[in-house]
Amino acid sequence: MSELRLSSIETRGVPGKKRYAMVIDLRRCIGCDACMTACKAEFDVPVGVFRTWVPYRVVGTYPNVRKHFMPRLCNHCDDPPCVRACPVGATYKVEDGGFVLQHYDRCIGCKACMASCPYNARFMLPKSRTYTDITSVVDKCTFCHHRVTQGLAPACVVTCIGRARIFGDLNDPASEVSRLVSTLPTQVLRPEEGTKPHVFYIGLDRHNSEFGRAVYSPLEVLEEDRQAFNKNHGA
Amino acid sequence: MGDFNIFHHMPWSSTYSIYFFTIGISAALFFMSTLSWYREEFRPLRASAFYLSFVLLAISGLLLISDLSKPARFLNIMNPAYLNFTSPLAWGGLNLLSFGAVSVAYFFMMRKNDEGTSRKLAVLGSLLALGLPIYTGFDLTVHQNRPVWNTPLMPILFVALSLVSGAAVASFLAGGKSEKLHVMLRRFMLWSAGAVGAMLISLLGTTAYGGSGQELTFMFMTSGALGGIFIGVGILLGTAAPILLLLAPFGRQQGGMMLAALLLLVGGMALRYSILVGGQIVQTYF
Ligand code: SF4
Ligand code: SF4
Repeated sequence: MSELRLSSIETRGVPGKKRYAMVIDLRRCIGCDACMTACKAEFDVPVGVFRTWVPYRVVGTYPNVRKHFMPRLCNHCDDPPCVRACPVGATYKVEDGGFVLQHYDRCIGCKACMASCPYNARFMLPKSRTYTDITSVVDKCTFCHHRVTQGLAPACVVTCIGRARIFGDLNDPASEVSRLVSTLPTQVLRPEEGTKPHVFYIGLDRHNSEFGRAVYSPLEVLEEDRQAFNKNHGA
Repeated sequence: MGDFNIFHHMPWSSTYSIYFFTIGISAALFFMSTLSWYREEFRPLRASAFYLSFVLLAISGLLLISDLSKPARFLNIMNPAYLNFTSPLAWGGLNLLSFGAVSVAYFFMMRKNDEGTSRKLAVLGSLLALGLPIYTGFDLTVHQNRPVWNTPLMPILFVALSLVSGAAVASFLAGGKSEKLHVMLRRFMLWSAGAVGAMLISLLGTTAYGGSGQELTFMFMTSGALGGIFIGVGILLGTAAPILLLLAPFGRQQGGMMLAALLLLVGGMALRYSILVGGQIVQTYF
């Protein structure tokens, strides 16, 4: 049955292969945005787009309110719809490690991968950039492939002040991520999409991560922010 | 998340809906030209429908290429080393190219008055033309996370939309040339618009009774600005009204048919636009 359980692209539990994953412990995240900043610095991520971001929701009733943070990034899905949607193979999965990466020189900019990612993890790079010559193609988080392959942790993980982000090989039963995933209740985002995400959340309240009716009647002030953002980012 | 500090865009802009519109008409017009080899009443459309189909194919290609953020790289889609056949876009690219090649060959064979080859090319071209609305439907269907798009209806709905818009354009091309053609085109419009209407009803039903993303999408598509375009222009003005008009005695006259054709074209564009945009709204909040 095992061959039926895994699609050919999946590497979780495949002997001899690494399958990197991130665990995000929401109980520890203080919403300092250091991860966003470290990522921006690591990759010269342009203004207005993000490889990782930390949205929040205010929960509770005044005066007992708090911000509930949920750091986000590409889930480096084990069965990524973005890879199958790309007509020219510009989005691909590295079998050993499970990184979902981009061939920037191949991407034609059809945005099919953006349409197929259920997590909004992808974005279009601007037409001109000051320090980097990769422009007008789709980009996303790489799980810091260049660092991980040299034995370093991703930039966001290293910088996280609350140690809310933990990174490692899920196929190694002795790794910290394996221990956390096997001993604590974790959740992934939108598991019903069949993508098999590899970012696991501890302490995620699905009530806060789902669309909810707030989408239909968002707070006026947030809608103004949204319109201003779209105006300044060419939507 | 309900509250947010980062906002997301819809990846596919309205250019795609114009492309869906023009390529659908192009495919259906080619089919009308093919019919002319087998049904005498379509004879007046043979050349005119084909020429307009070809012009629309060229416009569609340009629209598609200009919407790429790297237009000069569109040739990558023909590179066998790159092609990824799990993507409907790869199939669509090949379908478009082969349809274009067959259209060119058909043009020359018609000019040479080579009836045998023209007939064969017409049939081949029609099969490829059928593939165009089917692949555009699949382009949307395969995104399992998108309400409205991710239904098996999409490819069939796009075929019906292609026929309805193509027949509407053909009725303008036909003018008052032939009474028999007039009758056939009216039937085409009526049946394909009826099929579109039936599919829209089931689409609305499954979307309204779907999961949270679908239910919210239903609310977006049936209220506010998009509701006006989808329900008002697409369904009522652009599908229901022309069906009623075509059934009425006035719809059997040329003036009535032209009016119905115009409404169907406006409706066809509105439906394509609202389906494209509707499937993308909710996720911009995720
Ligand atoms: S999160 Fe999105 S971009 Fe990342 S692998 Fe999954 S589908 Fe692809
Ligand atoms: S935008 Fe680029 S990476 Fe995305 S599907 Fe198109 S070619 Fe592939």
